[in-house]
Amino acid sequence: MKNRDEILDRLFRAAIAPVPPKEMPFGFDTRVLALVRASSPNGSAIIALFAQRAAMIALAVIALASVGVYRASTSNDDLPAEYAMADNAIQSSLGE
Amino acid sequence: MDDDEHAHTLVDRARDGDDEAARELIRQLYPMVAKIVRGYRPRRAAEEDLTQMIFIKVFQNLAQYSGKVPISHWVSRIAVNTCRNQLMAEKARPELRHADLSEEQAAMLENLAASDEALSPDRKLAARDLVEKLLAMLKPVERLVIDMLYLQERSVAEIQKVTGWTAAAIKIRAFRARQKLRRQIGGLL
Repeated sequence: MKNRDEILDRLFRAAIAPVPPKEMPFGFDTRVLALVRASSPNGSAIIALFAQRAAMIALAVIALASVGVYRASTSNDDLPAEYAMADNAIQSSLGE
Repeated sequence: MDDDEHAHTLVDRARDGDDEAARELIRQLYPMVAKIVRGYRPRRAAEEDLTQMIFIKVFQNLAQYSGKVPISHWVSRIAVNTCRNQLMAEKARPELRHADLSEEQAAMLENLAASDEALSPDRKLAARDLVEKLLAMLKPVERLVIDMLYLQERSVAEIQKVTGWTAAAIKIRAFRARQKLRRQIGGLL
């Protein structure tokens, strides 16, 4: 009896058959292109995507601005002494 | 104008929304894609549905095609990956038994085991049916490798180009598949 590898190779050789190229079914290309169009994002979806991104950017800008305002307001409380003295001098000169 | 150049022109026109170019591209690539799908021998998903899914992916991603490799290679890799993902859940059939063979298949197998004589043409049909039954025992990727290596007689380098797999991966898959097939043959004799 032949070994299994040999049997397998002979079996494969016997099974080789020229396969005729498969014909494209009628209307296949039209169907594919229609499905591609149906699955691609349409105009309103693009606008929605843009609006979503714009909203996210706006939120980021608001957050940054809030942080800036907060820091500015807290730093106003501890003005250096020179500023306070100058302010005082201006106030008193205006009073005169 | 050579084939590659023509294909690139078609791709550019299809990207710009030229339907006629897109149809021409589908017509040119259809036989190659159908061959890959057939090599996987899908059971649940019909061949045509899988082929359609592949072309939809191709056109959805056409903007990403850089043109560095021939379009046929790029499309064939999409085809291989789509089939692979789609058929991943497909289980291999349980073991093939002697009782599952037709009289002709059993006789043909005995003939192969006992003599060096070439098979007669009528036995070749039985051989093809038996190979189909044996391939059903394998995983989809193993079926593809065996189909390309032994039934389409492609080289490892050619399979690499089509699938994008490394030579080592192809050889390992072929080795494992042959091991399973050898066991099956042993059980049938």
